[in-house]
Amino acid sequence: MFTIQNIVKKYGERAVLNGLSFSAEERKITYILGTSGGGKSTLLKIMIGAVRPDAGEVLYEGRDITKVPERELDPYRRKIGMLFQQGALINNLTVAENIALPMREHTALDESIIKIMIKMKLELVGLRDFEDLMPSQLSGGMQRRVALARALALDPSIIFFDEPTSGLDPIGRSVITKLIADLNRLMGISCIVVSHAVEEALRTADRIVILSLGKVVASGTPQEIRQSSEPLVQQFITGSPDGPISFRASSKDFREDLLVG
Amino acid sequence: MRDLFGYVGRMFITFLQDLTSIFHLLKETLVQTALLVTDRKKRKQARILSSVDEIGSFSLALVLLVSSLLGIGLTVVIAFNLDDLGLLNAIPGVVVVTVYRFLAPLLVGIIVAGRMGAAFTARIGTMKVTEEVLALEVMAISPVRFLVVQRFLGMVIALPALTVLGSFTAVFASLLFCVSRFGMGPNVYLTGILDVLTPTDVLSGAVKAFVYAVSIVMIGCYRGLIVEGSAEEVGKATMVTVVWSTLTIVVLDTVLTTAFYG
Repeated sequence: MFTIQNIVKKYGERAVLNGLSFSAEERKITYILGTSGGGKSTLLKIMIGAVRPDAGEVLYEGRDITKVPERELDPYRRKIGMLFQQGALINNLTVAENIALPMREHTALDESIIKIMIKMKLELVGLRDFEDLMPSQLSGGMQRRVALARALALDPSIIFFDEPTSGLDPIGRSVITKLIADLNRLMGISCIVVSHAVEEALRTADRIVILSLGKVVASGTPQEIRQSSEPLVQQFITGSPDGPISFRASSKDFREDLLVG
Repeated sequence: MRDLFGYVGRMFITFLQDLTSIFHLLKETLVQTALLVTDRKKRKQARILSSVDEIGSFSLALVLLVSSLLGIGLTVVIAFNLDDLGLLNAIPGVVVVTVYRFLAPLLVGIIVAGRMGAAFTARIGTMKVTEEVLALEVMAISPVRFLVVQRFLGMVIALPALTVLGSFTAVFASLLFCVSRFGMGPNVYLTGILDVLTPTDVLSGAVKAFVYAVSIVMIGCYRGLIVEGSAEEVGKATMVTVVWSTLTIVVLDTVLTTAFYG
């Protein structure tokens, strides 16, 4: 479904993504794992057409998303949904208005039907009684569930998740993880999840892609990842501080730095 | 010295880039406004009146207070100078023209720029930081239509209205002051006004207010939309908005005042 080829993205001199390639299949859950600050969010933004890469392509249904002019992206964006890290609900609209927003914008549905749809979407995420609350009155986990209901508003075929469980308590995390699995298995929605939660990925993913330093270092089914002999992969799934990924992020020699500086 | 040239040069280039971007935003706003005004369903959702109400009621008390004090202050200065020449009856004419043509548009513009321009930047900038703007884009909803158009329409209605109200208040305060301080008859004052005031005086104030309204909305929204990063950036952007919109209004005021007499 998605074929990502040789994506390069630089911020100033620093290459956040450095020739990254992988593909994601339809109706599957693909987890993209990587350390924090490893360019995962940038990759996601490239895939939704919000950031343009310096090189490479993102092929979706034979079209390169990165070359489509801004104005012509709308049809693609109507097919996708995205759950942002903090939900990104519009703060001065109620829960119901937030979910209604894409429907009012892109459909000619009657208000009475939109009302029913809101209830259905909220039921999917288990928050049917929360229609009239403001986003600020909800907990972080609930905000994300409402945001998921909003992402579902136009029945997308793909949903992107940006670190959906980070900063949540254990129950909140498993609720979101279960929702991702349910959406995929019950409704056939393709899920692309950017995360650093290894355990959740191993449990839910159909396919896992591991990034490091802007490149794909491993990809495969959870089973394959678990059995990988690659030291970096092992370090990542065991969460060890020692290994190929150093605790020191700077590349310059320490002694030299002190003497010169 | 070379550094100074480099610094000034870079500032100038940034300024030109900002200016171009603001004009792009204005173009996009006008296109989206036209789309909105012609679409009945979306027009209803846009809540233009609530935006006018927000801008108006936030600034109304401040405008009334400042204008009445301004009317009195102006009268005192003029009276002090005209009294020696025995020209007290010329006060109304001088006050009314100064207020309508110059002072009211300028001051109301600056008040609203500080009040609402800053609020626009803060609100939109925060939405940028919390990814709400990106969320709109991903939902294929134009952020310009959703965030700028409503404020644009609200402002171009509210600011001219506030300016007309402010001008009237300033002149009225001046009248009350003349009546109580110099024992001038109200009818003398009113005659003094009517002898001098032309439709152009009133109209030029309204036209100015319209131009300032567009400037305030565009600067405020643009600064908010380009915020990247943290809450601190929102604070900085808000400060820049106040400085830039105030400066823009003062510069435009000089240009327009001269132009209307030209």
